[in-house]
Amino acid sequence: MSCVLGYEPVADEKSPERVWLETPGEHLLSSLYKDQILAAMHDLRLRNGARLVLLGADVRALGDAERARLLRRVAFVPANGGLMSSLNAWENISLPVAYHAPEKLEAALADVHALLDELGGVDDDLLAKLPEHMTLYERRLAAYLRALLERPDLLVVESLAAGLGPVKRARIGRFAEVYRRHCPNGTFVQFEG
Amino acid sequence: MLALFRELEGSAYLALHAVRRLGVLRLPPVAEELMRQIYFTGASATGGIVLRGAFIGTLIIAYVIEVLNADAALAVKMLLWVVLREVGPLIAAVLVIQRSGTAVATDLALREISGEVASLRRLGIDPYDYLVVPRVVGMALSNAALTLYVQLIAVGGGMVLSSLIIQVPLDEMLGVFFLLASPLDLIYSLIKSVLFGAVIAVIACYHGLRPRGHSINAVPQAAIRAVTEALLAVMLLNVVFAYLVYGVALFGLVTAEQ
Repeated sequence: MSCVLGYEPVADEKSPERVWLETPGEHLLSSLYKDQILAAMHDLRLRNGARLVLLGADVRALGDAERARLLRRVAFVPANGGLMSSLNAWENISLPVAYHAPEKLEAALADVHALLDELGGVDDDLLAKLPEHMTLYERRLAAYLRALLERPDLLVVESLAAGLGPVKRARIGRFAEVYRRHCPNGTFVQFEG
Repeated sequence: MLALFRELEGSAYLALHAVRRLGVLRLPPVAEELMRQIYFTGASATGGIVLRGAFIGTLIIAYVIEVLNADAALAVKMLLWVVLREVGPLIAAVLVIQRSGTAVATDLALREISGEVASLRRLGIDPYDYLVVPRVVGMALSNAALTLYVQLIAVGGGMVLSSLIIQVPLDEMLGVFFLLASPLDLIYSLIKSVLFGAVIAVIACYHGLRPRGHSINAVPQAAIRAVTEALLAVMLLNVVFAYLVYGVALFGLVTAEQ
C-alpha cells in the first residue's frame, strides 16, 4: 500500500473527504480531521468504521505487537509540547531513549547538542529548565528534539508556529529542514492552524 | 455497588501490575521516579513525626502510670503492645495518606488532565510502569521506614520524656523494655506497614489516573476519594491483621501474655 499517512473518516461524518498522503516529504494538512487523526494515532484506536493507514500499514489489521512496533516509527509533537512537568528539558528529551535503550543515553546527549547547534538561538541553560520555566517555543523545541532523537519515519507536528512571534516562527521554519536532513526518506506532516 | 466493584477490580489490577512489573525499576527513568517518591514520602516526612511520636509515647506512659496507677513495667508493656504493634504502623500510614496519598492522587490527576499520561503512551511508555510501579514500591518502602522511625521515637522519646516529666526511672523502663521486646513485634509491624504503604499508593494512583472529568475540579475530588478510601482500607487491613495474628492463624505466637 503506497501511503505514508491515510485517514478515512466514518461514513456519517459531515465531510466525506479523506486524508491520503502517498509520497514521503513535507506535507501541510488541513485541521479538519486533526482531532480524529491525532486521537487515532495516539493509541491506534479508531472510531467505528474509520480507517487509519500509517507507513503503508492499515492499523486495523495489526496485532498489538505490530502496532507497538509501528508506533516506534512514528513521532508526534503536540502544540503544548506534551512534556512531563516533573522532568527538566534534558530528562524530557531523553525519556524515550532512557526508557527503551538506556545504553544509548550518552550518544543521545551528543546528538541533542548537535541538533541544538543546527537549530540555533537557544539559551545555554535550556536543558536544565523545567517545563514551567520554559517559553512556549522552548517547550515545542524540547518536544521536537525528543521526537527527532528517534529518527522517525513519520513525524507529525501540531500547529508548531501558533502563538509565536515572527522571530520564533522563523526558527520553527527550520524544524522541517532539519528533519529532512536527518531523515531524508521520512515524512514531515504539519497541521494548519 | 457496581462502582465499588469497578474500583476494587481497578485497584487489584494496578496492584498486580506493580508486582508483575517490578523489573522496570531497573530502567533509569523509573528508578529516578522511585528515588523521588522515596524522598517525598520518606525522607521529607521524618521531621513532622518526631514530636508526634514522642508525645504519643509520653501520653501512653503517663496515662498508664498516673491514671491507671500502674507500675513502670505495665507502662512499658503498654508502650510495646500499643506502639510497636498497632499505633506505630497506623500513625505512619495516616501521615503517608495525609502527605503522599493526596500528593500522588493530585499529581496523577493533573498529569492525566493535562495530557502527560497520553504523551507517555505516545512515546511507547506504559504509564502504569512509569507512574504506578515506582509510587507503589516507593510508598511501601517509605512507610516501612517511617513506621520504624515512629516506633523508635515513640518508645525512646516516650521513655525519656516520661522520666523527665513524671519521674519514672529511665533505667527501670529500659530494663523492662529489653526484657519484653521481641523481634516478632517488629517483623509483624514491618510487614503491616509495607502492605499499608502499597495499598495507599495503589488507591491514590487509581483515583489519580481516573479523574471524573477533565476539568480542574476533578483534581481535588480525586484527592478526596483517595484519602477517604485509603484511610478505610488501612483501618480494615489493620483489623484483618489483628484478627489473623491474635485470633486465628498465629494464635499463641504473638500474645499479650509475654
